[in-house]
Amino acid sequence: MNDRTAHLTDIFIDSFVPLLMAGIKFTIPLTIISFILGFVLAFLTALARLSRWSILQRVAWFYVWIIRGTPLLVQLFIIFYGLPSIGVVIDAFTAAVIGFSISVGAYGSEIIRAAIQSIAKGQWEAAYSVGMTRSQALRRIVLPQAARVSLPPLANSFISLLKDTSLAATVTLTELFQKGQQITAVVYEPLLLYCEVALIYLIFSTVLSALQHQLEHRFDRYAAR
Amino acid sequence: MIEINDLRLSFGSNEVLKGIDLSIEKGQVTVIIGPSGSGKTTLLRCINLLEIPTEGALRIGDSALSFREGAKPGRGDILAFRRKTGMVFQSYNLFPHMTALQNVMEAQVIVQKKSRAEAKARSLELLGKVGLASKADSYPHQLSGGQQQRVGIARAMGIGPELLLFDEPTSALDPELVGEVLKVIKELAVEGMTMAIVTHEMKFASQVADRIVFMDEGIIMEQGSPNEVLNHPAQERTRQFLSLLSEPV
Repeated sequence: MNDRTAHLTDIFIDSFVPLLMAGIKFTIPLTIISFILGFVLAFLTALARLSRWSILQRVAWFYVWIIRGTPLLVQLFIIFYGLPSIGVVIDAFTAAVIGFSISVGAYGSEIIRAAIQSIAKGQWEAAYSVGMTRSQALRRIVLPQAARVSLPPLANSFISLLKDTSLAATVTLTELFQKGQQITAVVYEPLLLYCEVALIYLIFSTVLSALQHQLEHRFDRYAAR
Repeated sequence: MIEINDLRLSFGSNEVLKGIDLSIEKGQVTVIIGPSGSGKTTLLRCINLLEIPTEGALRIGDSALSFREGAKPGRGDILAFRRKTGMVFQSYNLFPHMTALQNVMEAQVIVQKKSRAEAKARSLELLGKVGLASKADSYPHQLSGGQQQRVGIARAMGIGPELLLFDEPTSALDPELVGEVLKVIKELAVEGMTMAIVTHEMKFASQVADRIVFMDEGIIMEQGSPNEVLNHPAQERTRQFLSLLSEPV
């Protein structure tokens, strides 16, 4: 029994650094880059949904409809395994970034759209009444308030994305989860290794939640209680 | 200086304003009274172009706009016109993410492109005028309703409007806070600010108004000096409305 515990402890310790490194080298950059690109996409899509031009509205609606209605895993497979057959070959990391960004863009656009629409009509009217244009009112009055509203749900999608990046294992990327699979294949301790992988995801997401908390706190100075 | 000619507004088949003619002289205070649903708030919103009239014409000073069914004026014309009027809202509508000072400065910097220093000096002066110089750095949620509404007045004044519009400025206030807001409006009247005020405060109306306009069902039923309209109304509808107000609850 004692030998067994010592053996497991050794495996745990030996695996920790390689797993953490896989997380730092792939999972974290994948999450951050995809989220930033996805956020930009989400913002533009939300503006398109709210624009006066119906063609923009329809393009945005179509994009959200397709992405939300199909599994992320299938989307990743189409990008990485499907596109090469029409001559578009993309390396695993880029394919994963594209897949995740498009996904964040679709879901995030609904968050941002809802946040913008949650700002009282009176705020637009007050901005107009002092002579602001629509874009001035949006930039100076509505978006700063919408940012606060959208922060918790956006932080949610950020943390979801962190965990969803484990899907990148299926397109050959040696991120945190794939690394766990590889070590498991050698030492054959799946319970220990996958729990260890879970633990590292938990550490990452805990740090992110703390960051979110800080940001919300910063916004709170003007929030009515 | 302000001319409103045959102004009409319909929402679908519902005609809310049925041909309003009204002129307001420079430096005059016009108080608009009438039962709810009479179109008085809508009239103010039309003058500020928060609602675009369906038909009719508006003129403030030397800029004029006319409206026809299906032909909206250009966005540039709307903006230019709007910048001649300031609006004070029933629910204040202060920008909650900005301090009192920033609320007043914002349009001066963003719309009028004044330098920050110039806008700040002017805004502090206006906050002083409404008695809130010491609250310049407070956020709206840290202020009472009366204080918020006074910031609202300073904000509307900030863009230097030729006409200031008040949409029931004290209706959302606790009774003990009404006086401080009315006092500020009276001071502006004394200084010769041109104003159009929708209110239910009849005593205030009789004190501050040069003209009283009584509206009902989308038309102006009667207008005249406070003494004429409030004490010797010519129209039966006006008498009914005033007697309802004076009846003890």
